[in-house]
Amino acid sequence: MSLLDIDERILDVAALADIVKCPLVDGKEFPQVDIALVEGSVTSDEHWHEIQDIRAKSKVLIAFGDCAVTANVTGMRNYFSKDEVFNRSYRDAQSNDGQGQPPDHFTLLKLHDKVVPLHEVVPIDFYIPGCPPEADTIFYVLAEFLNGRIPNLEQERKLKYG
Amino acid sequence: MPKISVKIDDKDLEVEVGTTVLDVCRANDIDIPTMCHLKGLVDVGACRLCLVEVEGTSKLLPSCTTKVQANQVIHTQTDKLKKYRRMITELFFAERNHVCSVCIANGNCELQDLGYKVGMENVRFPYLFQNCEVDSSHSKFVMDHNRCIMCTRCVRVCSDVEGAHNWGIMNRGYQVRIIADFNVPWGDSTTCTYCGKCVDVCPTGALWNKDATQGSMQKYPQAVSDLVEKREMKS
Ligand code: SF4
Ligand code: SF4
Ligand code: SF4
Ligand code: FES
Repeated sequence: MSLLDIDERILDVAALADIVKCPLVDGKEFPQVDIALVEGSVTSDEHWHEIQDIRAKSKVLIAFGDCAVTANVTGMRNYFSKDEVFNRSYRDAQSNDGQGQPPDHFTLLKLHDKVVPLHEVVPIDFYIPGCPPEADTIFYVLAEFLNGRIPNLEQERKLKYG
Repeated sequence: MPKISVKIDDKDLEVEVGTTVLDVCRANDIDIPTMCHLKGLVDVGACRLCLVEVEGTSKLLPSCTTKVQANQVIHTQTDKLKKYRRMITELFFAERNHVCSVCIANGNCELQDLGYKVGMENVRFPYLFQNCEVDSSHSKFVMDHNRCIMCTRCVRVCSDVEGAHNWGIMNRGYQVRIIADFNVPWGDSTTCTYCGKCVDVCPTGALWNKDATQGSMQKYPQAVSDLVEKREMKS
């Protein structure tokens, strides 16, 4: 949602592109697109299938934000085993009543043992790191792609982590 | 001091015998990234970021520990060097856990600045996600091994400038760790004088003041460089 940080410039983007799918324009199927901005890391079977699908249907796939690019805070559970994490959250945390059990139901997504950034699952065409990414950088990258140019964060000194 | 001629990146320079390649470059506006080097501390060539190409030698040489020799021709900005500098930077990020968004040094970190300088938009090596310790046993400071890049500035400032010899190094490879005394919690160290010099020279969010909060830690490595210079002037 940091896309909305570009404020009224979203109108400039809208003049050049149709926003066909986002958390606000929800549809069932992911459509064929020119550019996809994907936030978040891959933590489960559901994410894994989703990113494969988006990759297949996007000409340019942009890893958007530190979680997508590095796993960021979502990757901090990787220092422990999945069981340790589950037991800590559902059973052993001080706030629990001692009766808790890790949930296990076939309708729930299955967490992977390790959280990974997007590029460890599918090829990524462009990276915009940052937590959140800078509004100016987001606008610059979109404007470049939409005008048929390849952006360069290195030359523009627009990189930011955290 | 006698002078010799060297050529660095097509600049013909007259320099004093005994000067390191890095010092010559810094004095002539030639930008070489460094991490373990800090003016005032003994150079150890730990990080390998400052590698340069010297004609006639097939090995890449660390400029911080290599002294210029007469008529050397040195290159500091070749594609090969840029490629290695970016790889080394990525390995720093992949080896331990750099979660900038929740780090004490976010926005004031030499490792972040290095990433920006070498144009690191992502890390192509798989992250190790090691479970690293955070030692908060000291009453004034914290050592977070997640953020340590083993530059050893802390070890050198503590032994050579403060004279306390608290910090040492244990293990090898990815398990290498900075240790207090003979591997005790920092708070139990019998040698630490609480001077804070190691915190000031640490380039990352590994060493910090206990009263700092996310993104608020400012480091002053220059303070140690200045201190050493003043002492040298006196003696
Ligand atoms: S030490 Fe620097 S690079 Fe590492 S997490 Fe902290 S701010 Fe980021
Ligand atoms: S505070 Fe001073 S004495 Fe203590 S470990 Fe750091 S440099 Fe050494
Ligand atoms: S604690 Fe800081 S100064 Fe010491 S080796 Fe690690 S990064 Fe370098
Ligand atoms: S600065 Fe020369 S090896 Fe680190």
